[in-house]
Amino acid sequence: MDFLYQLIPHIINGLALGLLFALVALGFMLIIGVMEVINLAHGSLFALGAYMALVLMAPEGGLPFAFMEPYYALPAAPRYIVALIVGPLLVALVGMGLELCLRRTYGQDPLYGLLLTFGAALVIEESIREVWGATEYYLPIPKAISGGFIFGDLIYSTYRIFAAVFAMGMIGLLWLFLNRTPFGAVIKAGAHDSEMVRALGYNLKVLRLLVFGFGAALAAVAGIIMAPIWGIRPVVGVDAVVPAFVVIVLGGVGSFWGAVSAGVMVGLVVALTAAFFTDWSLLSMYLLLLLVVTFRARGLAGKASVLEG
Amino acid sequence: MTLTKRLHDWLTIPMLVSFAILGTLPLWVEAVGLYQYLGLEILIWMIFALGFNLLLGYTGLPSFGHGAFIGIGAYAFGLTQFNVAENLWVCLIGAVLVTAAFGGLTALFLSHRKGIYFALMSIAFGQIYFFIASQWTSVTKGEDGLLNIARLPVELGVTRLQIDSTPALYYFCFVVYVFCVLLLWRLVNSPYGKVLRAIKQNDQRVAFLGYNVVLYRWSVFTLSTAVAGLAGGLFAMAQQGAYVQIMSLQWSGIVVLMTLMGGGFVSFWGPVLGVALYFAARDLLGAHTEAWALWFGLLFMALMMFKPTGLAGICHDINARLSRKPVQPGPALSESVR
Amino acid sequence: MALFETHHLHKRFGDQVVLEDITLRFEENRLSGIMGPNGAGKTTCFNVLTGRYKPDRGKVLFAGEEITGLPPRRIARKGIARSFQTMNLFDEYTALDNVVLALPRVRERGFDMLHNLSANGDARDEAAAVLSRIGLRGHEYSRAGDLSYGQRRALEIGIAVAAEPRLLFLDEPTAGLGTEATVALAELIQELRRTITIVVIEHDMKFLFGLADHIFVIHWGQVIAEGSPDALRTNPWVQRSNLGELA
Repeated sequence: MDFLYQLIPHIINGLALGLLFALVALGFMLIIGVMEVINLAHGSLFALGAYMALVLMAPEGGLPFAFMEPYYALPAAPRYIVALIVGPLLVALVGMGLELCLRRTYGQDPLYGLLLTFGAALVIEESIREVWGATEYYLPIPKAISGGFIFGDLIYSTYRIFAAVFAMGMIGLLWLFLNRTPFGAVIKAGAHDSEMVRALGYNLKVLRLLVFGFGAALAAVAGIIMAPIWGIRPVVGVDAVVPAFVVIVLGGVGSFWGAVSAGVMVGLVVALTAAFFTDWSLLSMYLLLLLVVTFRARGLAGKASVLEG
Repeated sequence: MTLTKRLHDWLTIPMLVSFAILGTLPLWVEAVGLYQYLGLEILIWMIFALGFNLLLGYTGLPSFGHGAFIGIGAYAFGLTQFNVAENLWVCLIGAVLVTAAFGGLTALFLSHRKGIYFALMSIAFGQIYFFIASQWTSVTKGEDGLLNIARLPVELGVTRLQIDSTPALYYFCFVVYVFCVLLLWRLVNSPYGKVLRAIKQNDQRVAFLGYNVVLYRWSVFTLSTAVAGLAGGLFAMAQQGAYVQIMSLQWSGIVVLMTLMGGGFVSFWGPVLGVALYFAARDLLGAHTEAWALWFGLLFMALMMFKPTGLAGICHDINARLSRKPVQPGPALSESVR
Repeated sequence: MALFETHHLHKRFGDQVVLEDITLRFEENRLSGIMGPNGAGKTTCFNVLTGRYKPDRGKVLFAGEEITGLPPRRIARKGIARSFQTMNLFDEYTALDNVVLALPRVRERGFDMLHNLSANGDARDEAAAVLSRIGLRGHEYSRAGDLSYGQRRALEIGIAVAAEPRLLFLDEPTAGLGTEATVALAELIQELRRTITIVVIEHDMKFLFGLADHIFVIHWGQVIAEGSPDALRTNPWVQRSNLGELA
């Protein structure tokens, strides 16, 4: 009993991680659904989000624009809010740029599209390396959500709890958006049948562009929230795309809550592995991927889709 | 069957051209401002890429974790040298067999899949092998690498040729290259090669025709890793060590880029052209800008968008235009254009 | 004992029963048909017969041997070939190469990694003969992706024929063809039936009635009638199920 009690902070960490994985996966899923494109660059968009936040939060990570100085003089909290809003918007622009590139590959062998996004992932990662180098950065966060506290003999990380709550909120907002707004309804329809959406008069091209940007923004938000947990390095992108994929395979493509529950599961596995075997925590994700794909290719709650090849 | 046709089964013009250029490289490489070791690197990666393209270009299976296998080959070569025998042939065979064993194991998981599942699983395996190689320090010496791998002499029974110097090692690698090219050329024109290409186009139909598609996928994957193992052994000698960096995801990605930019999808020679292009970019472009890898990636994207058939595809187009014939393949079964 | 039989096949997807108690028999050297409107379950039935899906219950027998649940490649090797409704060709290959792959003599040597396939004149000749039979003489070296729709349809059937099957399933072969091409297709099938047992799945009644010796009518997931075209013309079930105009 005492042993389980000790695990509670790790479980909370797992929850935070898992909900963030779910957020990345949901953005990934939207893109698959509407565009039938597997966006291998999704992870680098995640990483880019973290770097954008770095620019907006930390002078030493930022670009030397003179007009930024009064901005950096502001306290951390308002800057953090700006980062959470502006960062994803900037990354959304990059995502939309990628969608424009992908247009040429629609209708051809899907392998080309896959490889194109792979190339994009490399380009984004290289660009990051060019601008910021390969050193690891730390994202400064407002005092209010940093540090830890003791509750009932255990140490909890304030930030992880914030991350979990924030991610839950984002997922809730996303659900509301998809299910309670007209635009969300179009996206859901597009995910099922893009031809029908076009027949109904919606501009498919614009829809695709916006959905890609939206998916990218979701990845970026997750990247910003994850930054204090994983650190900011160029390779963080790959580490993000793998759980997204595992989540989708486990939870099923097209299943919103399937992705969320699968995300939580994956997050818990990673966090609990980290609790006992720190070196192995990222590797556990890869092993989980192998297990899941070998035994459960269609996921727990999903339909067959473009993933089948 | 005419004599020229018979000869053509074995040797083609592009093949002879490559033999001529690569066979004489040590003689002119410095004259053009490059260096001997570069030639060695290029040759070894060409061997690797030719095997890799069987999987990627011919069968359409995107393995993004293949760099791990050349690393395994290098380690296997070194470990065989230290623990079994200091004999070149034994070590090379060791490199090939060990890598193929890992390849076969990996392929057991991968051969039931294709597309994105295949790609991501290959990444997972690559990362796992990378992790093992970095952590299993007692065997691989971790980040430091396996050092002091010797360039073993070539024992030919009656004589023994030292290949310590880079040009000498180069010539040995060139012989291996010729051997690989000849065998692989036969393979791609054989029934097996034909089935592979059919699988790339429509694997479902191939199954309905009675072929065991999973077995073909498994075998081509394992074969490509065997070639990777061979390249790895040569690489270990070139570097005189085995290091873990080559097994990173970044390198696996670069290999994919090299193979495809050269035109791996449409030509046997695509990978060779791609490797040459990569190293030319690295050394010539790299002299001018730190960000050459970025430009290279952008070039890759542009090719995927506008000319997925790569350099070889461009060559085919030029060739067709010059001979003023429509770009129509000739007697299909000989596939000489490839 | 018929060449191909199914006994009480049952298949459901989720909680929707798609096939119920399907019992069919196809006699050797006859041209049989499976007819029904779209959504009747005939496509699913067909996929079960050719190994794409496993039935939940029931048996499939070929020449007395049970083949229920075998994967497509094993079924193919037993001598059953099928064509596909949505064209399923090797678009990058020439028409000749498409057919060569289907030849049993090539399939037997699939793992041969050393011999040059183009040196195999026998394979080429056999393939050319098949192409000739299906009306594609002269197009041997055309890229499959470049052929006209009707030619692709012929090639689609040609690939199945090349496998030298004992039983040939044709899945909605008239799909997408115009009147002229349909007539040509009917002639082709009449020619093929002289040497191969054929089963045609169709919803074009006129086409099927003109060709088949014996037809099974599938509707609402069940066999609602069977018999020769003449017998079926007067069948009340057939008339009730609105299968379109009778020939």
